[in-house]
Amino acid sequence: MTEITPRITTLEQLHRYLYSALQLEHATIPPYLTALYSLHPETNSDARHILRVVAVEEMLHLSLAANVMNATGGSPDLTGPQFVPKYPAFLPDGEQDFKVDLAPFNEATLDTCLKIERPAKAPTEELRLVPRARSTRQLLAANPDDPSVQYYSIGEFYAEIERGLEYLHAEYRSEGRELFVGDPARQVTPEYFYSGGGEAIPVTDLESGLAALGLIAAQGEGLGGGIYDGEGELAHYYRFQQLRLEQYYQKGDEPGQPSGPPLSIDWNAVYPSLANATLANYPDGSELRAAAVDFNKSYAEFLGLLTRAYTGHPELLLEAVWEMFHIRDGMNRLLRNPLPGSPGTNAAPTFEMPTVAGGAGA
Amino acid sequence: MIFPQGAANRTDPDAAAQVVYDAVIVGGGVAGSIIAHELSRAGQRVLIVEAGPAEDLTVAGYEDYLSRFYSATSKDNQSPFPGNPNAPMPRSTDARPIVPGQPDAASYLVQNGPYCTDTTYTRVLGGTTLHWEAKTPRMLPEDFDMASRFGQGLDWPVDYDELEPYYREAEREIGVSADVEDQTYLGITFPPGYVYPMRGIPLSYLDTVVGRGVDGTEVTLDGESHTLRVRPFAQGRNGIPNRGYDGGKGFVPTGAVSTHQVQEGERCQGNNNCVPLCPVQAKYHAGKTLAKALGNGVDIVTQAVAYKVHVDPVTGRVSHLEYKQYLDPSSPDHVTRTARGRIFVLAANAIENARLMLASGLRDRGGLMGRNLMDHAYLLSWALLPEIAGTMRGTVCTGGIIDLRSGSFRRQQAAFAIDIHNDGWGWATGSPYSDLHAIVDAQNKFGPALRHALVDQISRQLLLAYMIEVPPSPSNRVTVDPAYRDQLGNMRPVISFSVPDYTMRGIAYGRRLARRIFERLGAEDYTFYDPADYGYVTHEGQGYCIRGGNHLAGTHVMGTAPANSVVDSTMRSWEHENLYLAGGGSMPTIGTANVTLTLAALCYRSARRMVEQLRKEAAPLAVSAAH
Repeated sequence: MTEITPRITTLEQLHRYLYSALQLEHATIPPYLTALYSLHPETNSDARHILRVVAVEEMLHLSLAANVMNATGGSPDLTGPQFVPKYPAFLPDGEQDFKVDLAPFNEATLDTCLKIERPAKAPTEELRLVPRARSTRQLLAANPDDPSVQYYSIGEFYAEIERGLEYLHAEYRSEGRELFVGDPARQVTPEYFYSGGGEAIPVTDLESGLAALGLIAAQGEGLGGGIYDGEGELAHYYRFQQLRLEQYYQKGDEPGQPSGPPLSIDWNAVYPSLANATLANYPDGSELRAAAVDFNKSYAEFLGLLTRAYTGHPELLLEAVWEMFHIRDGMNRLLRNPLPGSPGTNAAPTFEMPTVAGGAGA
Repeated sequence: MIFPQGAANRTDPDAAAQVVYDAVIVGGGVAGSIIAHELSRAGQRVLIVEAGPAEDLTVAGYEDYLSRFYSATSKDNQSPFPGNPNAPMPRSTDARPIVPGQPDAASYLVQNGPYCTDTTYTRVLGGTTLHWEAKTPRMLPEDFDMASRFGQGLDWPVDYDELEPYYREAEREIGVSADVEDQTYLGITFPPGYVYPMRGIPLSYLDTVVGRGVDGTEVTLDGESHTLRVRPFAQGRNGIPNRGYDGGKGFVPTGAVSTHQVQEGERCQGNNNCVPLCPVQAKYHAGKTLAKALGNGVDIVTQAVAYKVHVDPVTGRVSHLEYKQYLDPSSPDHVTRTARGRIFVLAANAIENARLMLASGLRDRGGLMGRNLMDHAYLLSWALLPEIAGTMRGTVCTGGIIDLRSGSFRRQQAAFAIDIHNDGWGWATGSPYSDLHAIVDAQNKFGPALRHALVDQISRQLLLAYMIEVPPSPSNRVTVDPAYRDQLGNMRPVISFSVPDYTMRGIAYGRRLARRIFERLGAEDYTFYDPADYGYVTHEGQGYCIRGGNHLAGTHVMGTAPANSVVDSTMRSWEHENLYLAGGGSMPTIGTANVTLTLAALCYRSARRMVEQLRKEAAPLAVSAAH
């Protein structure tokens, strides 16, 4: 084994990476929610549950990344002007990039979901960073220190952060300093967040920090090449793969060979929403425009609420549950309404965050 | 929670007929599931005989129930469940006023009257927990010795202290959300350091509005002063896990049940649509326990209606039971099969247990089988608050008044607990649907005016539901009559019931107290009891509409001797030493607590005794495996 020089050698770098992690985790949520709420009500039970649980666990990952940041004295901020990407956005995927759309649930969307969560191990450690494709589009996660390169996979990106955390911890220790100096009261604990698999791990030291980062990676792509994570929970990639293979996995199955109950998808029971809609798609003064603006405003407020929750008020995550119903309703209002002048196409939320007056956070 | 794929159909009934199981359990509801799980954990071989449909519990199947409920015109407890003439179930919409001397046999329960109950129970996997509200208060210590303390009802052969550890087991299994400080009242005790599995569900805004008017109110009853206040109820729905549970080990909530991994229902989302079905399965149902039992290898035959319990005339022990297994709920075609076991457990609920025992024509020396049928009597009072109070937020019921569950007045009149219904007048008037119809049809409103009117009307609604004690009365009973049979030819339950005067005195007092509470709140009383209503009962010149509580109990009460009871304190039959009659039917009184938690605790206690008996009788019994 060759010793790899860590690319994260300062606290500032660590926090930049963790900010990228927050961006990355969040960036998957609008696409998953758009696909989820594009399903006709009381149909597509199988797809609905899978999309929902993955989206919920991305929110857990967001909270875990915030915990690591808080534990090391950082301050998560989900309200900056560039925090929400402009869709379609790119996600690193080895040699060829693919874009993530805000799109209704369909075959192409399922492909994208699989690509986002695909287990991808770089052939060598040195190849963890690959050249970034020439593009003017935003990346979901890039090397925050060197925008010209990006990570081979989300798992590799987190491996870099884990390495940096270990390195910094050792460095600090050798200098008689403490890396984990954050206020424990800022940690999101299981009281305030839990979904099915994986708890909100409060981070207070290296061990819990690595556990939190490890959970993010394992929930996405499985543990050690297996289809389950360390808690016996099916990884996101394999959850989505069930939809492709039209069969559920069960304990003991090998990747690609699920043997559980069959499932089915009704591809037609989906609202045909406009992909990557922007406010420009809705005429000035139209009801759709007003609904889309309202939604973006409430989503921005929601990110503000999360930021307050992650900066000392974790109990606000309980309130956030109610806000999420509000977000669902706002998305449904758009997804369920036809787009005038575009027969066969429905409106969609645009997730364009309103610019805060005075340019705060710039 | 994983339900083993195919488990609902995996047991070959012909092969099962050749097996002498350690235990044969009739019914896959909360009692049967708990006992099956406990016996399987102890290594016993168990067969469940379940009358309901042969369908695995899946999220998709559960959502079919929900869809059926959403599209049903009548939003009653049974509307999610398809009709099944081979295992019929009572439905509140069946209730009709009874003409004296003319039993109403139009629906499954044959009602002799004079009071017509709209009580229900559900015959599907998971049983009546598929529509319960999931309120889980403990009984009070004084509820266990009503006869010696108050000269009313019956004494239990066990007391609160004896049952307390089993209450904790039931609270673990059901996953109860509550805070000990809120639930320590009127003699209820907990071991030092105990915390509930999950923290209490918070009071709703409506509760706090009512609390502002009620808290501190003094009432005098039988010379004793009682101070009223609104407090939270313990609930069998997932809340915030308490890190201090189980000596600091914490608690992991059980979410939705399906044949594949699904993550849903680990926490209540605070919406109001809890009954009949929590859309995300955050509310406990017995399918969660049943899935564990089946995962332990418990066998189950479904669409299998237990028909006759057979007793060896020499030993008095149950030798086998016969069940009728149907292939299609709509067709009476069936085959009769046999289940054999070393012990037998009837866990089909108070009415069905008694019905099966009586239909089996077994000797009943005490003459008590089917007698002392109980259910809580519910009295509804409803009013419009002077302010918007957020009705329709929170679970169906988060808080209420429990201060009159206890007192010396219980010598003369029934105790009660008062629920504040977060779902407004729904139970009494069919709100919010009835509001919508009235505002559209009678007031001709639409658009924003309609929305405004709906909010103004509904979010000021206050409904107080009094859950009133009904003492055991031998004349309130279940019988069978060969003249009344279901599609499979099984005798139907015949119910004779009158509301005891003791309960009526509590009802009359409760109604007066409701008026007083409404006055204190400045609320306009809209309560109206229709003399044409099936549940209309008069007392001292006043009429009241009484609703059933679906808290069925008392048809095979437990006691200290065969002369005063059907079963002993472990729910074992005095007549048949390898027969247990499990569930609410064994309860000699129901006090003012919803029955599920207590009957679950009794099942944990009995399961321990069953394992002891099975181990003691480890040598195979002389039961032939074939006819």
